[in-house]
Order: sequence, then C-alpha cells, then structure tokens
Amino acid sequence: MNLLGKIAAPIALVALAACSNTDPSAWGSGGAGGAGAGGAGAGVASDPTSPAYFQQAIGDRVLFSVDQSTLTAEAQTILQGQADWLLRNVDFTATIEGHADEQGTREYNLALGARRANAAREFLISRGVAGNRLKTVTYGKERPIEICSEEACYAKNRRAVTVLTGATTG
Amino acid sequence: MMKFLTSLFLGTALLVAPAQAQNQPLRIEITEGVIEPLPFAAPNFVPDTPAAAEYSAQLARVVAADLSGTGLFREIGSDAYISQVSSFEAPVQFADWKAINAQALVTGAVNVSGNQLTVRFRIWDVFSGAELGNGLQFAGTTDGWRRMAHKVADQVYSRITGETGYFDSRVAFVSESGPKNQRRKRLAIMDYDGANVQYLTDSSAIVLAPRFSPTGDRVLYTSYESGTPRIYVLDVGRVQRRVLQSQEGTMSFAPRFSPDGQTVLYSLAQGGNTDLWSMNIGSGQSARLTNAPSIETAPSYSPDGSQIVFESDRSGTPQLYIMPARGGEARRISFGKGRYGTPVWSPRGDYIAFTKQNKGRFHIGVMRTDGSEERLLTASFLDEGPTWAPNGRVIMFTRETQGASGRSALYSVDISGRNLRPVRTPDGGSDPAWSPLQ
Amino acid sequence: MQTGTKISGVLHVTLVGWALFGGTFRSEPLPFEVQDVSVISAEEYAALTAPKQAPEVVDAPSDLQQPEQPDDQVAVPAPAEPEPEQAPPEPVAQPEPEPEPQPDVVAEPPDPEVVEETPTLEQPDPEEVALLPPGPRPQPRPADRVAPQPVAPPPPDVKPDDVDTPPVSAEEGAEEQQPEQEETAQKEATDQIVTEAEESPDPAAQSSPRPKSRPSRPKPEPVQTAEQEDPPDTSPNTQDAVEDALAEALGGAQAAPAPSGPPLTGGEKDALRIAVSNCWNVGSLSTDALNTTVVVSVAMQPDGRPISNSVRLLDSSGGSSAAAQQAFEAARRAIVRCGAKGYDLPTEKYGQWQNIEMTFNPERMRIK
Repeated sequence: MNLLGKIAAPIALVALAACSNTDPSAWGSGGAGGAGAGGAGAGVASDPTSPAYFQQAIGDRVLFSVDQSTLTAEAQTILQGQADWLLRNVDFTATIEGHADEQGTREYNLALGARRANAAREFLISRGVAGNRLKTVTYGKERPIEICSEEACYAKNRRAVTVLTGATTG
Repeated sequence: MMKFLTSLFLGTALLVAPAQAQNQPLRIEITEGVIEPLPFAAPNFVPDTPAAAEYSAQLARVVAADLSGTGLFREIGSDAYISQVSSFEAPVQFADWKAINAQALVTGAVNVSGNQLTVRFRIWDVFSGAELGNGLQFAGTTDGWRRMAHKVADQVYSRITGETGYFDSRVAFVSESGPKNQRRKRLAIMDYDGANVQYLTDSSAIVLAPRFSPTGDRVLYTSYESGTPRIYVLDVGRVQRRVLQSQEGTMSFAPRFSPDGQTVLYSLAQGGNTDLWSMNIGSGQSARLTNAPSIETAPSYSPDGSQIVFESDRSGTPQLYIMPARGGEARRISFGKGRYGTPVWSPRGDYIAFTKQNKGRFHIGVMRTDGSEERLLTASFLDEGPTWAPNGRVIMFTRETQGASGRSALYSVDISGRNLRPVRTPDGGSDPAWSPLQ
Repeated sequence: MQTGTKISGVLHVTLVGWALFGGTFRSEPLPFEVQDVSVISAEEYAALTAPKQAPEVVDAPSDLQQPEQPDDQVAVPAPAEPEPEQAPPEPVAQPEPEPEPQPDVVAEPPDPEVVEETPTLEQPDPEEVALLPPGPRPQPRPADRVAPQPVAPPPPDVKPDDVDTPPVSAEEGAEEQQPEQEETAQKEATDQIVTEAEESPDPAAQSSPRPKSRPSRPKPEPVQTAEQEDPPDTSPNTQDAVEDALAEALGGAQAAPAPSGPPLTGGEKDALRIAVSNCWNVGSLSTDALNTTVVVSVAMQPDGRPISNSVRLLDSSGGSSAAAQQAFEAARRAIVRCGAKGYDLPTEKYGQWQNIEMTFNPERMRIK
C-alpha cells in the first residue's frame, strides 16, 4: 500500500496533465496520455525499486523502424533491463502501449501498434516475466509524443512503452 | 456506336429517301460537349401567410446552397433577376429567366400554420419552358425546415441529373480539439452540410471512426473508455450506447455494419496479430474470417453483402483484397505503386474508394471493384478515411495538415475529382461517416 | 421512356396551348403531388436537444441575398388548387411511449455558433488567374468548365458567352446599323478534368489548401441580353412559326416546299455541330445518362432559330428510360439555348435544314 501511495501521486499528476482521464483508477489510460511526461517522478529516480528508476535509468520505451515490429539489439537490451526489474519487483504489473507515427491510416496503425506492443511483451515473457503481469494496448497514431512532421519525430513515435500499473493481480 | 449510327442512317435513308428526297432531315452527330455547372435560379419561396415569411428566403437559400455545393450547379443571384416570383400559381415569365441565362428555375411556396410547415415547389427547364416532373408538396414541422429544404434540393438534383440526391442526410464524425499529442475527441453528428451539430460523447476517452447502420439509427464506433480499444454501438436517437461483446485480452476496432444491419465486421487484435471477424449483433456470436500472421483490417461489405473488401499487408505492404463475406480465398485488387488502405465499397457497387500513400503524399482515390481504372482524386500531406454520399457520387474524408500545429478537417470531393471543398465543423473533424438518405 | 415521352408530350401540348391562346386561361392546373416528410417530430427533436440546450440558431446564412419580400399575400388563389389530398400536415411522429431516457453520456453543450452556411471557399489569388504566363509546357489547370478546346481565361470585363464576339461600338458601324454589342468571350475552359492529384506539385501549396474555385465570373448584364434576342414565344412571327410547326406536326407534311438548294457542305455542318456542342453541357448528367446516346429531332425557322417546342426524342440507346429523359433534356437545352440567336445556316438551303436530327453521343465525354 505504501508503494502504491508512492506512485499514485505522480501518475495522478500525469493523468491531470493529460486532461484525458478523470478516473484515477484507470492508470493505464492515464499513463498513455502522459507517456511523454517522463520527468514526473524524478525525485525518486535514485531508488532502484521506484517506477521513476524504471522509466529513466532502465528506459521504459523501445523504438522501431518504419512499419516494423522487430526488436533491434538496442531495444532488446532495454527490454532485458525491464525484465530484470520486473523480476525483482514482483508487486508491479505493466501495460505495454504500442504506438505508430502519423504516416499511415488510422486502422493500419492500430494494428501495427498492437504488433509492437506484443513484440515487447513476448520478449519480456521469454525472459521469465509472467504473462499475466503484462497487458498490451495499441494507440496507433492517436498519442504521438513528438508532434513535428519529420522523421526525427516519427522515429520517437514508433515506440512501445512499458507503463507500470501497480501491484494488483491484473 | 458507329455501327448503330451507320445502320440507323442507312435504314432511315432507305426507307425515307424515295418518298421525300427534298425534306429529309439533316443529320448530324454531336460527340463533344462541355462540362460546366448548370446555372439555375431559386427565388425566395412565396409565403402563403405572414408567419411563413421568415422561411421564405431561408428555404430558398438552403436549396440553392445544396445545389451549388455539388459543383454541378451554379446559382444566379437575385440581384440579376428581372422579375420576381410573387405568386406560385402565376405562369412563369420564362423570357425573364432566359435573359439572365438561368437554365433551371425552382419556384416554391411556403405555408405555416402553428408549428406545421408546408412547402410546395416546381422545377422548370427555362429554355424549353417545360416543367421537370410534377409539382410536389412536403409537410412537416417548422423546426425541421432545413430538412424540408434539403428534400426539395434532392428533388431538383435528381430531376436534372437523373441521380438520387444526398442532401437529406447526416454525417457522424469525430470532433477534435487540442494539440496533436493531447487531442480531445468526441463523437458528433450533424447534417451533411455542417448544420445542427450534436455531440454524442464527452472527450474523456479517445473515440474513433463512427459508422452508420444501414437505416441511420445506430452508429458503431471504437472507444478507449475501458482503457483498451473496444467497439460500441450507439442508438443515435436515444444517445445510449453499449459495448459489443469482447474477449478479455483482445482489442477490437474498424467496425462496419453489413447491408442488412444484422452483422458487424471488425478487426480483432490478439497476441499482436490482427484479423477480420464478424459478429451477429443480436446474438453476439462471432466468427473468424481470416487467419493469417499479417495485418487484416478496414473491412467493408459490398452493397449486396456477398463480398468484403479489406486491407492486408500479407504481401509485405498494405494492399486491397476482396474475399467472400464468409471468408475464404482473397484476391488482391490494388497493384499500383505505394500503399493502399481503408477501402470502402460505393453504395452503388460500382467503385471502391480508398486511401493511398505514395512518395510521402496521401491520396483519396477510386477504382473499379476489379482494381481497374484507378483514379486519384486528391493529394495532400495526409488524406484518409473516405466515406460515400448515399448516392455514390461524392466522397467525404479527413485531411490533416502538416507539422506541430497540424489540424484535421473534413473535406468532400466529387468522384470526378472536381469540387474539392472543406466541410465546416465547429472544431477540427476526422473520420466522417455519411448516413443513408433519411 | 414512354412515361417520359408522355409527360413531355403533355407538357408540350400545354405549352403550345399557352403560346397559342396567350393568356386566355391563366393557370392551367399542373399536376401536383403531395408528400409528407417524416421530419423528426417536435417531441423527438425536443428530447434530443433539451438535455444539452442546443441553441436553435436562427441563422442568417452568410450569402443571404436580400430578399425582395413578395408583397402580395393574396397571390395564391386557394380554392381552385388541385391539391385534393393535401393531407393535414402530419408530424410523422414515432410514438415514443416511455419518457426519453437521459443520455448517460455527459455531453458538453455544443458550441453556440452552429455554423449554418455552406463552407465558404478561399478565393484563389487573382494574380494566379490573370497573370499566369504560358509556361513552356502547357499544363492543364483546373477550371469550372471543361470544353472540347481549352479556352484561356476571358479578360476580366468581358461578358461570358458561348461564342467570341468582337466589340462593336456605336461609332463604328457606319454602313450597316449594327446593334451596339458588348464584347463577349467564351468562358475559360480546360479540355479535361484536372484533379488535385494531377496538378503540378507546388511546394508552396503543401501546407495550405489549394484554391478551390475560380473567382466569380462577370455577371451577365440582363439588359444587354434582352436587347439582343427576342424571346421566341412573344414575337408574332414566332407564333406563326409555331403554328406552322404545329400544323406540320399534326397534319402531315403539307407545308409549302421550302427552297432547298444543294446539300450543306461539310464546313456548314461542322459549324452547326460545333455551335450545338458549345451548349451541350453534360456536367450535370448522371453516369447512367452519360452512357445514353439520344437522337433528337428539331424543326427550324428560316432565320436559323430552332422551334423550341418542336424538339423531340426520337431514339435512345445505352441507358435506362429515366437516363434517356435526362440526356434528352440536356440535348434540348443545348439546341434551344445555343440557337437562341439563330444558327449560322445558309438561308438559300433552308429546305436542307428545316428539320434536323441530332445524335448526341456522350461516349467521348465520359472519359473527360
């Protein structure tokens, strides 16, 4: 419960900032809206069991190339770190959000986001994380983190973000 | 055609030549014409009663705007009029309308009694002095006056062009506000011309891609209100919604009604793979239509319900395919350069509209159902999601502008590629879905 | 087609009758149909809008032409009206027995300014229209009008017409008393439809919408036109011609033999063909009608003007009967409209063109 209290505050802030969710229990949605607000928990980033540490020190997201859902070597390194963290902090579950850049139709991007989220999830499972701790959701191109219309932005938007959702049974 | 003409000519010549060599008609063939908007006049409707006066101009204005908006007609403004129509029953002064080159004329009268509104009108071919069809009367309530005007315009349109009109229709869409990374989306519905906007959801959850039922009384859409994309069906009249049955751990989106309104086609993502499914909307029983590791999405029925056109990247890039409505072997119909998506079968059955992405630009295009005669109608940074007017002659779609301040808006275009124009919405708009004629 | 012909026949007889008998009977009761519009009922409407207090916008559409209010409220001679089944306008109300459930969606109140007018289009930069120098490679540009031959935009102060007419000022016409004529020019046209996708990619336009419409053309000056053409139905000799035509149509070909002369030359026929082509507007035809070839007959007056009510549909092929009717009407508009000032046909060969059969074949127009 103590743990829950610790992460609830930043996430609630994030949810408010996103203006997209008034229901504090739905952390998954809140996380999606504010996926860019990485600095929210900076104060506790030094604590290796904190979500902030997970976000910043380990890295909560992996990037993909155009139309792809295969994991690069770099992505695998990050996901390995995520897996290790999740194995150490068994009270947490996670929702993996799949995203796409705006260069594609809405429907195709939803499907592509689902692929990317699933690629990350499969990797974590292969490294020993229990499948019932990991949900996926696709946002397609609905929640870009960068808003310019250039490859520099697109590259950051083609991502899978692992959002910690707290110590529930899922 | 030449054969027909030759035989006609010979036949007639043989029959007539000996009898009346001198006065046989001169025969010519016209094969070249012009394509331009037909000039018409729609003078204010004659008010039968003082209470009707306020509708006199409004009705005529909406009729004229409907017709002009098609790009097929051009209104001649009242400042050019030589004579006014002050009586609905008096003979039309055709010479006065010819003089200002009005080729079609709409005359009308309006009567108001209580909240009852009655509209009478006639349509005239000015240069031949003939009435097109019979006079017609519509009756309804005063607050539905815009619908009456749309109905009048539908009649004018169909009597002159020979096609069914589309003005008495509505559009469901997603109203958008806020910056790209925090966009607020609400489901909304409006008259096809942007009037009478009504919001059906709040913006607490992302909503996507509404689709009308064949009778226009229900709308399917995708919402994140549960945290994950699920399909909802909303009763437009009661503004009540329910989620379609869905399995835990799956995501569903891209729904579309079957022509009989009994079945919903949709995409279901499970374990990272997206396939096509159908569900009986009454029983909730679902069936899997495709089973491939590739992405299958954006399905649309043929008007007879026998086939489905959809988007798949099984070849490596997104392309269009057609398969039987119950699933089975699919044949690819798009072979041009680039990526194809969001195919929609025309209500007439003759064309498939689609989104195409090529060389960094997006296009709305149409092709025959066998993939031939592909024609791109638009080009911009991002055009997508075509929807057909109920008569299959006009397409509405989403256009999003480039960059950090990018905004989305609704546009419409004639299937000839002419008459591209924005559709006015209070905020940004995306994912339009055109209703059937009401 | 038969119904179409019948309707057309009835209308023609009515019209001819009107032309012959002047105004002796004022308002021939024309056929009329009555339909109830199942407009959403007041209750439904209220139920839908009440929870959100959607403001009923009493709109004044932006382009509202200032209406001359018709001043006579007595105009409609009510009792004689042929509207037997003028059913008491009935709100086609779907009875909704149960009270309208409150929408469980909390919708925010809609924006107060519900926009009622149609979208206004950005006017294109006039510079682009007027000053565009002919590039090295002629590029089809979008124009409102698609015609057999591309036509450059007219000079701004010239009245659009179907033919080019040089200006004639009063001082010039020394010998022949020529009526003063305004300079006219054919409307600008391209020879094919140019879609947005086919326009030359213009980097400047990538981030802003392209111009969607041409600037409005100069309005025709009604006075001018009125003086140039006598409306056929009013001049007495037209009435004679109508009677002639009628007699001919009804009583067989006993009309006095007209001078016939030699057959028309190819050039003379071409001139007629092109003249009619210029008014044959297929832009508002359905795809079905665009698949329909119609053969139309017309009787001509010696001055080269068609007798408008003599235009008949002889034959059609390719489309439904409804499509044939629309195709016929477009053909009739072409013949009558472009012939309003008289076709340029040799008078001495009147017999050769007293009756004309024109085949309107839209095959080539379909692909434009």
